[in-house]
Amino acid sequence: MTRDEIITQVLVFFRKEFEIENPGLDDNLREKHGFDSIDAIELLLKIEKMLGYELTQEEKKQAMDIRTINQICYYIESLARTRPVLPSSGASFI
Amino acid sequence: MERRVVITACSSITPIGRTKEEILHNLVHGISGVKALREDGLLSPYIHSKVFGTIDYPIVYDFKRQHRKTMGPVAYYACQVAKEVIEGAGLDQAFVTSGRLGVAFGSTHGSPTVQRDIYRTFFGASRTEFSTIGAVDYLKSMVHTTAVNITKMFGITGRVISSCTACTTSSQSIGYGYEAIKYGMQDAMLCGGADEYDTTTVAVFDNLLACSTAFNDSPHLTPRPFDTKRDGLVVGEGAGAVMLEEYGYARKRGAPVLAEVIGFACNNNGGDLILPNLNGIRDTIRIGLKDAKLNADEMDFISAHATGTKMGDVIEAQAIYDVYGNLPGVVGLKSYMGHTMGSCGAIETIIAIYLMEEGFIAPTLNLDEIDERCAMINHVAKLREHPIRVATIQNFAFGGVNTSLIIKKMP
Repeated sequence: MTRDEIITQVLVFFRKEFEIENPGLDDNLREKHGFDSIDAIELLLKIEKMLGYELTQEEKKQAMDIRTINQICYYIESLARTRPVLPSSGASFI
Repeated sequence: MERRVVITACSSITPIGRTKEEILHNLVHGISGVKALREDGLLSPYIHSKVFGTIDYPIVYDFKRQHRKTMGPVAYYACQVAKEVIEGAGLDQAFVTSGRLGVAFGSTHGSPTVQRDIYRTFFGASRTEFSTIGAVDYLKSMVHTTAVNITKMFGITGRVISSCTACTTSSQSIGYGYEAIKYGMQDAMLCGGADEYDTTTVAVFDNLLACSTAFNDSPHLTPRPFDTKRDGLVVGEGAGAVMLEEYGYARKRGAPVLAEVIGFACNNNGGDLILPNLNGIRDTIRIGLKDAKLNADEMDFISAHATGTKMGDVIEAQAIYDVYGNLPGVVGLKSYMGHTMGSCGAIETIIAIYLMEEGFIAPTLNLDEIDERCAMINHVAKLREHPIRVATIQNFAFGGVNTSLIIKKMP
């Protein structure tokens, strides 16, 4: 998946699930859009489905410092580099 | 220090409607909110009682996702009535968030719908390697979910009381809210209870042979409090909330005052967790009167718990007779909507206020032939024009918990 594809999917997910419309890629999601720790956990669940495998506790903890859409995309890219997206996952949030 | 406590707003979601007009219309015309039990794909095929006090009209919620994400169905009900009483009382945002307003709100057991989804993850066939329990499932299902979703939505920072005593949940909410204001701990309390559609409660009562089963083909004819043909209770769903305020504060800001709460009692039977207990019920009625500094002959109207069970109605009638004799009119409001569990105390209080405002007493529905063991009290079997100055709302719960609330019309 390219960075653009990831961004597109993340933004669609944010609109559908979090009702956050077109956030700036470097917006602080917590401060500007009320994205809280509960949302972060929900997001991780979606990322697991997107990648097709369960994340380790360590990987999940790394996500707790994420504040922006760009950071989310970088996080997904890093995971995908470590463990490639499984073909069966459909590589999609949706 | 003892302060006076008044009700400045009320709101309910009941099987017989949402607004005062709808509810009174159904009371006056004898229209029941008991319908066929909805299928749940789990327990309903095994339950003998096929009736339920049903909310089958649409409710439009305009809650933001930020608030919706921690809410199960019961919290939707709770937050909607909470919103309406805050608006109805006209309390401003500064007061709501000041710490002077608290919340006393509960339900029988949080959200059973969400709990059921959690169990599906463990026992269902759809188990996968991914965690399918949502991050917020606990917040949606926990027993105090109604109270804290209300505090979150409105930024309320005062004390939180979340009773979960089944049938006495919301009468305790109002009673403990009243005490919190009376003794100076809070200046206002948002009080009530809610319960969502749930078949586990029906199944439990069904197993205890306490549910009505003889009217499955004619749901509107059951429950039948105090009637010879009564055959048990009917579980229902609903929500009710009242805003309680310290009288001086309410008057100073020109708030609408619907009634005054003048007495509350809560006790326990000190023994059996299921069987109704004459001594316990009689005591709670007497303690309530003492708290209200009233004589028994000053009571005009009794909203009886009256679930329509064989034993419960007889014991309650005896307790009423022992304390009040046969003067005050007695009505079992559950005859119209079944037993809305955690919300019944609040809903019955709200209906008592409506009757107080309108000056009539709606009859107990389905009371065609009074059981002679219940006949010693003053049953209202036909609509009666009657001014109500003082009313009491009685509720009794599994676990031997009894409550008595007393309200008074404002001059």
